[in-house]
Amino acid sequence: MKYHLVTLGCQMNQSDSERVKRVLEGMGAQWTDEEQEANIIGILACSVRQKAIDKVYNKIANWNKRKQSSNLITFISGCVLPTDREKFLKLFDIVFAMRELPGFPQMLSHYGVTTPLSLVNDNITPKEEISLFWQVKPKYNSTFEAFVPIQNGCDKFCSFCAVPYTRGREVSRPSEDILNEVSELVEKGFKSITLLGQNVNSYGLDKKGKEINFAQLLEGIGQIGEQKTNPFWVYFTSPHPRDMGRDVINVMAKHACLAKQIHLPLQSGDDKVLIRMNRKHSLKKYRETVTAIREVIPDATLFTDIIVGFSGETEQQFQNTRKALQEFNYNMAYIAMYSPRPGAASHAWSDDVAQHIKKERLALLSEDLAATSGDYNKKMVGKSYRLLVRDTDRKAGYLSGQTEGKITVRFPSDDSSLIGQFVDVNITSASNFSAEGELI
Amino acid sequence: MSKAVPTANKIKTDLHEILDIRHLTDSTFVLRFERKGLEFEAGQHICVGPPNGIHTREYSIYSSENEEYIEILVKEVVNGLVSPSLKKLKPGGFVVVEEPVGYFTINKEHPGNQKYVFIASGTGISPFHSFIKSHPQLNYTLLHGVKKANEAYDAEAYKKGNYVLCTSREGTGDFYGRVTDYLKQNKFGKETQYYLCGNCNMIHDVYDILEEQSVESDNIHAEVYF
Repeated sequence: MKYHLVTLGCQMNQSDSERVKRVLEGMGAQWTDEEQEANIIGILACSVRQKAIDKVYNKIANWNKRKQSSNLITFISGCVLPTDREKFLKLFDIVFAMRELPGFPQMLSHYGVTTPLSLVNDNITPKEEISLFWQVKPKYNSTFEAFVPIQNGCDKFCSFCAVPYTRGREVSRPSEDILNEVSELVEKGFKSITLLGQNVNSYGLDKKGKEINFAQLLEGIGQIGEQKTNPFWVYFTSPHPRDMGRDVINVMAKHACLAKQIHLPLQSGDDKVLIRMNRKHSLKKYRETVTAIREVIPDATLFTDIIVGFSGETEQQFQNTRKALQEFNYNMAYIAMYSPRPGAASHAWSDDVAQHIKKERLALLSEDLAATSGDYNKKMVGKSYRLLVRDTDRKAGYLSGQTEGKITVRFPSDDSSLIGQFVDVNITSASNFSAEGELI
Repeated sequence: MSKAVPTANKIKTDLHEILDIRHLTDSTFVLRFERKGLEFEAGQHICVGPPNGIHTREYSIYSSENEEYIEILVKEVVNGLVSPSLKKLKPGGFVVVEEPVGYFTINKEHPGNQKYVFIASGTGISPFHSFIKSHPQLNYTLLHGVKKANEAYDAEAYKKGNYVLCTSREGTGDFYGRVTDYLKQNKFGKETQYYLCGNCNMIHDVYDILEEQSVESDNIHAEVYF
């Protein structure tokens, strides 16, 4: 029995897919890269963008055609909106929420019954289900990079986002489990570990004092780092500016294993747009956080997310975002043109910024980003950096890696055994979004 | 014989029995249901939906932290996915309810004599009703912007002189005009904490007015209703 998975969307879905693989392989199924060879085929869906949902419908239409001539079981999980969920029940053999993963073998054994387990009253609450889900050991896709979910759900209700409706309220994973998983990963030689959550730094708040908070969790991981001899870097994504306190920044500065890279989504540099986005923070609050980061961890790199052309965004409001981008000197910004996302509050609003204006704004911000990022990279030239080698580079005869601050650096080498290892390089040249170096 | 309880769709968290539905206008009503031990701070919101539906919507909690039940103030949205279904429910029926969340709360570090100005449009008065019922000692002025005076939901709940009904379509309130007009004519000072709840346009306009009055953004708190 062979299986294939299509994983759409964010790192959280990538992490979920590692657990789905473990369950399927525990049942004796074997991975295949070829959809056509698979007897079990599933999608980890993403509801953030309409394109991803369209892809789901295209895929299942093809698979259902294939079912006329071959034996195939289809399933879907991940971020699925309630309205899509109803439609998918008619299209897929099995539909389940990720927290129901431990019951997936049972669902497969009942194949032919399209009612998902989620509609059966078995007296297990969603919170209990997510606890069982976290007990499923992941089958990591990499031997040196791992994602560790620490939280599920979202309480922020940003108006452009549907996650609160697909994943429910925030539930924090027990800190003991997280610390154990991180410790085991380090023992196994993993070099890069990313803590995942929709609002990773509101970790523990849902437990109302019965669980440690995010800074304390980082402290626990920092102590693991102090005890281990093998080096590793721990990242986290994505924090919400509202919950980003000095305690988190201070503990990052304290421990070498906590990577000095922060991804702090801005979304807009205009307070009125932030209100309309229901972001629950102001530009002033964001600025205070960045100032604290620069004071306490001056070497930290700063990444962000920005949406241009949000419903009602005026030229002046966009210019405020440009100013913010220039002020905060980001190393990287993931800039998206706004598109209404089904299920999100803003989906009902007018998408009133013309597409060509959105493209112009995207281009302008990208130029600004290239300038700030390029300035930083040029200052790297002549200095030495430690890299985690991640892959062969597109340029023949080169390998590619990332610094602790996630700046991509390539260097000449054919030694693929270095992939997954730390190396030290001297930076010899730099461009706007990457650098080049030589092995020391 | 025990009462038949419908099965909750497990996307949702829990079923709560409806205790009362109190209609305030043709389209607006207060839905009261079992609390079942839910803890919340005044100003937080919950997702509520019909028992066998697939959708929920966020509603600020209307009742006090100290009551044994939970109330929400609902305005029926024509062709809405949730509010028309909620309106049809009867006492003895059920709603699905998720845990309270949110940050639009009174900062406990404020001094006891802190001056608050609460500014609401329409059903945006809901969290302020909960604030005032939960903390009767609050030093507050509540500005409520509505079209007509019959939308002065439960106005008797507020201290006389602390509640200003601003009506934009008729002159039967305390002030004939929008809350923004009232704010332009009546300044409350830079040290006051301003809480804004309601539609986005009102919140934007109030922000502008308060900025012109040199109020720091740290003293302005907003909860947008969509």
